[in-house]
Amino acid sequence: MSRHAHKSLVFLFLRRMRMPLVILISAYAIATVGFTLIPGVDDQGNPWRMSFFQAFYVVSYTGSTIGFGEVPYPFSEGQRLWTMVSIYLTVIAWLFSIGSIVSLLQDPAYTRALRRARLAWKVRNLNQPFYLVCGYGDTGRMLTSALTDRGYQVIVVEHNQEKVEALEVVEFLAPVTAFCMNANLPDNLIEAGLRSRWCTGVIAVTGEGHVNLKIAISATLLNHKVAVYASADTRNDADNMRSFNTDCVVNPVEEYVRRLELAIDKPDLFRLYHWLNSGPGARLARSTPIPRGKWIVCGYGRVGRAVYQLLRERGMDVTVIHPDPEQAGCPHGSVTGRGTQAEELRAAGVEDAVGIVASTSDDADNLSILITARALNPDLFHVVLENGLSSHALFRAAEPDFLGQPSMVVAGTILSRISSGLVEPFIQQLLQLNNDTGRDALARFLRHQSDHPPEFSSGRISNRRSPALARALTAGQRITVGNLLADPSNWRERLHLEVVMIRKQKEDILFPPDDLPLEMGDRLLLAGRDGEAQRLQAVLENDQRLDYLLTGRDRQQGLFWQWLERRSSG
Amino acid sequence: MNMSKVVFGFFVLLAVTLNFGFFIGDIDNPQHHDVYELFAALVVSLIATVLKFGERSQMGAILLASSLVVNLHLLAAAVVWAVAVHVMEVGLTPRVMASIVSLSGGALLANLVSLVLLTLDTAGLSRK
Repeated sequence: MSRHAHKSLVFLFLRRMRMPLVILISAYAIATVGFTLIPGVDDQGNPWRMSFFQAFYVVSYTGSTIGFGEVPYPFSEGQRLWTMVSIYLTVIAWLFSIGSIVSLLQDPAYTRALRRARLAWKVRNLNQPFYLVCGYGDTGRMLTSALTDRGYQVIVVEHNQEKVEALEVVEFLAPVTAFCMNANLPDNLIEAGLRSRWCTGVIAVTGEGHVNLKIAISATLLNHKVAVYASADTRNDADNMRSFNTDCVVNPVEEYVRRLELAIDKPDLFRLYHWLNSGPGARLARSTPIPRGKWIVCGYGRVGRAVYQLLRERGMDVTVIHPDPEQAGCPHGSVTGRGTQAEELRAAGVEDAVGIVASTSDDADNLSILITARALNPDLFHVVLENGLSSHALFRAAEPDFLGQPSMVVAGTILSRISSGLVEPFIQQLLQLNNDTGRDALARFLRHQSDHPPEFSSGRISNRRSPALARALTAGQRITVGNLLADPSNWRERLHLEVVMIRKQKEDILFPPDDLPLEMGDRLLLAGRDGEAQRLQAVLENDQRLDYLLTGRDRQQGLFWQWLERRSSG
Repeated sequence: MNMSKVVFGFFVLLAVTLNFGFFIGDIDNPQHHDVYELFAALVVSLIATVLKFGERSQMGAILLASSLVVNLHLLAAAVVWAVAVHVMEVGLTPRVMASIVSLSGGALLANLVSLVLLTLDTAGLSRK
């Protein structure tokens, strides 16, 4: 398809050049024939006519405005008359054809097509794994910068010209190619490299749920090896995507409510979960238990409705404020208004409430609700929805107790899943834990890092992936989880790394104990400081280093040193 | 009736007829081959080539290719003429004339292929 587009560009150029070229050829032909027909006089005074060769010579230097003068003999008046005619004819023909080439090269449609063809050529020549990010809103931007930080190339498909231009001036750590086109059309996705064997994952995070759904379908059908991550607006879309095995589907509303639910039921587990699923820039949330009592929910949209239901299920008393309660189907006793006025908040009973949820679709309103409510009741617990990232500084300054950013929720959730296929089952099992186990797990992570969330990575015990370890295990050596986590340069120290899950043949073991023996075929999910997993990988491939980890002694290399070692020990 | 088809057909046909007119006659007799006819054949064939630019169909591609062959032959004939008369100054000897006319004969063959293809194309069009 893309090759085709490139070809049609050449055809377009040739077709547009037809008229100018025909005019140019005709002008030259007329001028040349004219010169051969007009009589002249040679240096001896005999009548003389130019041959075609001489005539074409004269026309060539006249047409290109070089003008050598009158060769081979001084012209007769008739020839001079014809010279004037041919000068105007050929020069105007040249101007016309050059003018049409320039106008074609400046034609916006042509330059756009040229640019696209160049990008498509670039994509075809990629030879490193890359991710295809569809949609460059807040979510897409976060994902792109996080992925390039990890060293992946990224191809962005975004139909808004301004956003593409904004992207092109940003410096990334890895090459980013941006296409300005509609991700809704499968052909465009193919042009952007969907079918390339280097395409590792497709991430559908455009603003429209339906487009995301279509991207997920296209990606699944057109490249069955690719991993698909998508954000879904409605439960319907999300279920639909899961039905054809989309690797990770995030519904921001569902995810937001799930986190709020966790914060109510298992505050420590919430802190861990939120920390692991909010992107590389996440900070550990403060542990503030959500108070029980009377709550106010401002805005009864998709988020407001879900939060209302959640709070009611937890047995709290909830009052809703909405501009048009009848229309939105608000529960009985709702207050009419936006929640930004003190009277509206008082009518909803802000003085004796314990918390307020600002979940309107307008960020300015949400901030206003927060500030007004805080003035009326300083002890309120604030839950605020931040729709776009443009006013993030204001939200940070307002210091709400619980901040929801849909774009960050989506980006963070997708990013943690991209690290390894084991993350999803790990998170699912993590959510089943009770709060105390969650607190212990959090404490395990906090031994290695303070604020920066751990980096996930995974590995498999096999002859190919970890040859040294596989050899030792086949030789019957007993190797435990604790052995692996020792520091390869000083075995008494520990790596800043945790094995958070082991997937055995039949079962998954969450947070395995240090004395658990490893077996061939185990898949390990690790989490820890950035770069620590690479150090472990080096051990798994090198017999000598593995031996050092297991025994604490450096095995000598070379026959002489081994002989010396044997002598000294025995 | 499509005006662009008329123009296109006109130039292709004219290229063949001019080429034929130049070619016909004793192969080594300069009296039988007029330089103006060669020039006209060359110019018309150049224009026919340009008119075939940008055709995407298979037929268009073959037509363009045959046209390029014609140009090549006729240009070679014109260059031989100019070199013989002006550069080497041997004049239009039978040897030179034969070489020019046989080159134009090659061009005629390619021109005829063009014509046959165009006829086939038109016939295929009318059957639909």
